[in-house]
Amino acid sequence: MTSDTLKRLIAARGSIMVDPPLLQPADVFLDLAGEDLRRRLYLTQGPDGAELCLRPDFTIPVCRIHLDGGAAGRRAEYGYVGPIFRHRASASGAVTQAGVESFGRADREAADADTLAFAIEACRAMGVADPAIRIGDSSLFVAALDALGLPAAWRARLHRLFGDRVRLDRCLARAAEDAGNGAGGPAGFLAALEGSAPEAARAVVEDLLSIARINPVGGRTAGEIAERFLEQATLAAGAGIGEKGASFLSGLLDIHGPADKAGDAIADLTASAGVDLSAAIESYRRRLAAFAANGIDVSRIEFSAEFGRRLDYYSGFVFEVEGPAGVLARGGRYDGLVAHMGAGGPVPAVGCALWIDRFEIGGAK
Amino acid sequence: MTGPLVIAVPSKGRLQENANAFFGRAGLSVTQPGGARNYRGRIAGLDGVEIAFLSASEIARELAAGGVHLGVTGEDLIRETIADADAKVMLVTPLGFGNADVVVAVPEAWIDVRSMADLDDVAAGFRARHGRRLRVATKYLNITRTFFAEHGIVDYRIVESLGATEGAPASGAADLIVDITTTGSTLAANALKVLDDGVMLRSEANLVASLSADWNAATLDRLKIILDRIEAEERARTMREIRADLADAAGLATEAEAAFGARAPFPAAGGPLTLHCPAKRVYDCVAWLRGKGAATVTVGRLDYVFAADNPLYAALSAHIGG
Repeated sequence: MTSDTLKRLIAARGSIMVDPPLLQPADVFLDLAGEDLRRRLYLTQGPDGAELCLRPDFTIPVCRIHLDGGAAGRRAEYGYVGPIFRHRASASGAVTQAGVESFGRADREAADADTLAFAIEACRAMGVADPAIRIGDSSLFVAALDALGLPAAWRARLHRLFGDRVRLDRCLARAAEDAGNGAGGPAGFLAALEGSAPEAARAVVEDLLSIARINPVGGRTAGEIAERFLEQATLAAGAGIGEKGASFLSGLLDIHGPADKAGDAIADLTASAGVDLSAAIESYRRRLAAFAANGIDVSRIEFSAEFGRRLDYYSGFVFEVEGPAGVLARGGRYDGLVAHMGAGGPVPAVGCALWIDRFEIGGAK
Repeated sequence: MTGPLVIAVPSKGRLQENANAFFGRAGLSVTQPGGARNYRGRIAGLDGVEIAFLSASEIARELAAGGVHLGVTGEDLIRETIADADAKVMLVTPLGFGNADVVVAVPEAWIDVRSMADLDDVAAGFRARHGRRLRVATKYLNITRTFFAEHGIVDYRIVESLGATEGAPASGAADLIVDITTTGSTLAANALKVLDDGVMLRSEANLVASLSADWNAATLDRLKIILDRIEAEERARTMREIRADLADAAGLATEAEAAFGARAPFPAAGGPLTLHCPAKRVYDCVAWLRGKGAATVTVGRLDYVFAADNPLYAALSAHIGG
């Protein structure tokens, strides 16, 4: 019985088995994963009118259990096996998942390695001996954005597009040209403000809004509007990221290949561009060493610099394990999730989930 | 025993008046025996056809489910109510009324936001600043989700609004809205502005066909009659008949077709040159005919122009058959 096998593996890691309620508040999922998830949720209503959903994944419910159980930053390891529910066009909406979630481990790279090792071991136990493994690490890209000293607006735009290469390339092209997109703003006025002290400029814009009798509605303050209006001024004044910055970033995103060669490839690229990413590269190498220490053959892992998830609580390392029937497991680091759920600052967290049904389709008995 | 062809028509308001007028023009006068309380009607002089009076959004749902064969409703409701609308219904022809745009509107005070790209910036930074997502009030949940996804905007929440959506930013229920507007005056009165690239859909009422309704020989036969009349009326409405006392009718007709898109409907007949000319080109065509020596030119309106082909029926039956 597969679920017993998996429960044994989870227990062997010292993880606590949890079974979060099937019915979850829908709000949390929509807030964290975005409105696009709504069409895939099975929604219902509680007697008090609160919107509930059948759990569409385990990570968020497990995180809720963790937060209910004590201090957010404490160390804890959880495991689970059970169904999740998402609308699918031509198949049952109920799918069995198994996985682990780890909170509070400061030795991040070692925790990453333990998680990947669990996924591989579980695949083996389910009959897929040699799955393909792909890894990515958004913290390399983020470190590059920081090292280039980009204007805040461009940094934010590029950061949130990580994981969507098509849009990211489009944004890079615009950032390289520019000149800012200037949002088609009143360039002359912005140019006149450019260079004045920030507080003074902000006061001018706030005054203009009140002279025009425009009342700030819709949850944004006049100060906030003024601030972004001036940010546009910086962009319009030509603070783009330059041809060089853009080509460095797309060169970085292009790097892919065996994981054990990628560290050198990144180091070579940064050296020739004169950009210092040593801390991020160091962390990447520590993680590979931890993989090797777990008996994982790193030369067979595929690294892809552009690989990531477009969910803002994912914070670095991600992986995907693939077998004959498609993706069997997905995991990654989500240090931002606990904070997004209202528990103060970031807490180290990493986990993965396996699609149990796909092993059976794959003919693995 | 096969059932009738069912046409769903809006059950109240201007949309109903306009829809009835549209069918009336096509010689399909809708009768509602027993007055406005009756939710079933007929078309005078045409058996095997039933009219169902439904609300506009019900019409969209019924079309998707195949409960009615044809319906008159706004494209906005089709796109909103039906997932993968193009696989389930076909927009047969736009009707020229019920025009409204579905737009993204933000407070006028947001002078830094003019485009969807700006909105993306604001949405992305919103949680860090305010501890919650940017909220969009709308009744168009699906259209909004699709449009925002196309623009790569993910950091927002939808607040479902079933009326007076334009008041949501002022009342604090939401930060911006997605709503329909015809003139923009309601938006302006609520200190809202439409984003430069924020028009999601230019909607109008359409005659819509369900692809999953029971299409059999009997209903297809009724469909053909109905579309034939609609087509004949539409063709007539957009054309004028021009008659001129000119010889060499055949040669001139060929020239007129090339120059004005005017066609000779009766090529075999003798007598004065007769042309059906697009209404917009009539005066140009008349001037040209007089230049050719016509002493008298008459222009008349047409009620119906029945032709051998029926493109609406051909397109729809190809869809149903496929």
